[in-house]
Amino acid sequence: MNMEIKKPNEQENTLEIKNLVIHYISDEEVVKAVNGVNIIIKAGKTLGLVGETGAGKTTTALSILNLVPEPQGKILSGEVLLEGRSVLAMSDLELEAIRGDKVAMIFQDPMTSLNPVHTVGDQIAESIEIHRKVSRQEALKQAKEMLELVGIPSERSNEYPFQFSGGMKQRVVIAIALTCNPTLLIADEPTTALDVTIQAQVLKLINELRQKYHMSMLMITHDLGIVAEVCDEVSIAYAGRIIEHGTLEDIFDHMRHPYTKGLFDALPDIGARRSELKPVKGLMPDPTNLPPGCPFHPRCDYVMEVCSQSVPENKWLSETHCVECHLYKDSNESMLKEVLL
Amino acid sequence: MLKFIVKRLFAMIPVILAVTFVVFTIMWFVPGDPTNIILGNEWTEAASAQVKAELGLDRSFLVQFLHYTGNLLQGDFGISYITRAPVGEQLMARFPNTLEVVLGAMLFCVLVGVPIGVYSGVKPYSVFSNLTMVAGLLGISFPIFWLGLLLILLFSVHLGWLPSSGLEDGFASFILPCLALGGNYMANIMRITRSSMLEVIRQDYIRTAKAKGVKAIDVVLKHALQNSMMPTITVIGMDIGTLLGGVVLTETVFSIPGTGRLLLESINKRDTPTVIGCLVIMAVCIAVSNLIVDIVYAYVDPRIKAQYGAAKD
Amino acid sequence: MDETIAKYTTRKGFFKQYKKKSRLEEIWNRFLRNKLAVVGLVIFVFIILVAILAPLIANYDTEAIRVNVPNRLHSPSAAHIFGTDELGRDIMARIVHGARISLVVGCAAIAFALFVGGALGAIAGYSGGKIDDVIMRCMDVFLCLPDVLLALAIVAAFGTNLVNLTIAIGLAFTPKFSRLVRSAVMTVRGIEYVEAARAIGATNTRIIANHVLINCFGPIMVQVTLYVANAILTISALSFIGLGIQAPIPEWGNMLASGRVYMRDYAYIVIAPGMAIFMTILSLNLLGDGLRDALDPRLK
Repeated sequence: MNMEIKKPNEQENTLEIKNLVIHYISDEEVVKAVNGVNIIIKAGKTLGLVGETGAGKTTTALSILNLVPEPQGKILSGEVLLEGRSVLAMSDLELEAIRGDKVAMIFQDPMTSLNPVHTVGDQIAESIEIHRKVSRQEALKQAKEMLELVGIPSERSNEYPFQFSGGMKQRVVIAIALTCNPTLLIADEPTTALDVTIQAQVLKLINELRQKYHMSMLMITHDLGIVAEVCDEVSIAYAGRIIEHGTLEDIFDHMRHPYTKGLFDALPDIGARRSELKPVKGLMPDPTNLPPGCPFHPRCDYVMEVCSQSVPENKWLSETHCVECHLYKDSNESMLKEVLL
Repeated sequence: MLKFIVKRLFAMIPVILAVTFVVFTIMWFVPGDPTNIILGNEWTEAASAQVKAELGLDRSFLVQFLHYTGNLLQGDFGISYITRAPVGEQLMARFPNTLEVVLGAMLFCVLVGVPIGVYSGVKPYSVFSNLTMVAGLLGISFPIFWLGLLLILLFSVHLGWLPSSGLEDGFASFILPCLALGGNYMANIMRITRSSMLEVIRQDYIRTAKAKGVKAIDVVLKHALQNSMMPTITVIGMDIGTLLGGVVLTETVFSIPGTGRLLLESINKRDTPTVIGCLVIMAVCIAVSNLIVDIVYAYVDPRIKAQYGAAKD
Repeated sequence: MDETIAKYTTRKGFFKQYKKKSRLEEIWNRFLRNKLAVVGLVIFVFIILVAILAPLIANYDTEAIRVNVPNRLHSPSAAHIFGTDELGRDIMARIVHGARISLVVGCAAIAFALFVGGALGAIAGYSGGKIDDVIMRCMDVFLCLPDVLLALAIVAAFGTNLVNLTIAIGLAFTPKFSRLVRSAVMTVRGIEYVEAARAIGATNTRIIANHVLINCFGPIMVQVTLYVANAILTISALSFIGLGIQAPIPEWGNMLASGRVYMRDYAYIVIAPGMAIFMTILSLNLLGDGLRDALDPRLK
């Protein structure tokens, strides 16, 4: 079956990552964090990057800002194109210009993301001062407006981070990230460290602001619920590779990869309360010691001999849906129906 | 904040008194009859008894201590057994010299040591950083008095550039003593600043700053520096004690007429009031510097300032 | 049931279940990988050997003590590797014997400080409350005076014999150890296995001895090493100003003091003794740093 694959027009893509490989190299070991990641985010769309801890999501995100920690972190190959420009080839000056301005990031842990000795007003205003060339007075004024936008009274702009709760700190972080209207917003598990009720508020805030400013967004999360609420497309990450990608419908209703199936199966079902939880058996592979062939094969219910021998290639199943699994090599169409269950 | 400072100043007094008590107690055990020293050749039974009554040396330990403390709180350090002059006078004459050497050493070490530490913390894998680590290790192992002797050998004897003793040559006389005294101190400051900076650079908020597009130099100066200063300030302040201990050695090596030399001379001559006076003055210096460190903490870290403010009641 | 009790209340039981052996091996390996630490260890072992074998290297009476005026102030040569001092004595012989004094007094002083200070700190940390307050206030007062000065005062009052010197220096370091042990005890006090031990009835002393102190062991060893260096430095400093080891007993500090007058024309006379002090302290510092890194490795 030969599918006609229509690749999206390159100019419309806010972000393109091609074959990114990043390893952390130290005296004692090599951590293979990212092993050939491909990501495309179209203008104004949100991509959910889903995966368990250790799948290489944060490292991939940091590479978009070229902030992978050195000297251990080494980008061995690949391209990162932000609106068509290669981030990895940029000079320091160019990088400083786009960080916070064209692309902004919200980090995972609000408790440690803010500088404890600067007021929150100052921290927001700094971004404005750097990218907008306005006076300090003006920057502080805009910072106060930003605080109001994220739901914090502007009188509090002179206070220090330790005087705010976790949820409010995260709002400040969001304010800092959005203050210069970035084209691409990267949110790295922005609600994981927060209480459930605050989670909903923060998520709503992010969504509203994103729509208001027409930003593209990369939402990194391990929570499929968040994905369903916020994302247009989904990439499933495992051991530094994108093993499945598609629209929300593709992934939620027509999942193909055994791991993806496992993720959904592992969700507790409130309707069927008495049945046992079905976690994916085994543990995430050790990035210093990845299994040969497909990284998921030791835990896979559908494992075949070829799985331990070679890494599966990316196969496009439709215009929007692709998967990396030996089950879907052309000759294995019959297997398709099995996984659909 | 002001209330906090005043409270601490008052709290210093019991500490100074306690130290005085310890020193007083120790010196109580100095063998021999003080009147021998005071009267020297003119010693007679009668004169001895008279002096003892005058100076209260025939009273009990507690009475003598309270008498001494009472005078101390009014600024009276007693009379020297040797010179018969008020101890306070001698201290006033000598202490400024000591202070100049100590402050000179501190200034030099902070102005040179902190930037070196900061730079090697920011660039931890560079040659500079490794050299700093080595210099730090060597520096803390160097005995002050040996360093002084070697400096004299090199700059005074061999090169003839700087004086080897006394304070007559103005600024030049301070160079070698301050260097010798500051050797350990600076090594410590460099090490602590470096390791503190290393810790801070790894923090999440530094990553946030970079992600905002803050220039590299500003990341260090505006974001990292203030956060990394706490341990450095601790060392700068707390090690005053080491400096004061070292100044005794430095003044010996460089023949500087300061409190350290005075202390040694009085010990050798068994001039107890002067000994106690010197030690008390040094303890006061340490207590004051601890207070200054605590105040500086509040300005560097707003969380601590908040604690002090809350502690007002 | 007896076995379970044995696990928590006897030293042997505790060790067995904690698998201490492999942990020690791990620490030792990490230590070995640190080149500077190994250098420090080698130098220090060398110094200890020199101190132990001193009588074999040079005869105490004939070479280190006996005045030999015709021999005075000879520059370093084959016969006298470090030269002779102002009274004709072989400097190397004096340095070698001086090592004994410095090491013995240094270690003894720190041992004193460790036991006295450690005991006080353990009691303070474990009891908490009023006892803790009182003990710590006393220690704080002592901390207001720098070590050299406190030792100075004590020696001035009680005389400069070896025992007094040891105790004086020991007392100067006692408050530091009390703080150290106290904070270690307070940290460990909260850990679960102490609660568990209490639950099966282990007495307080047993708890302190078996559980608490064993875990403080590592950091304390590090500090011991560093403080011994400090103590040796203090001894030399005191001897240098004439209030420590007195002539004619060879001590590196008093050798510097007496040789100082001749420094201008006979520079070598102050090189060797100072170098001895420096190397000893350096090796101990390297050792201490290496131990610290081996016990608690972090990315450098």
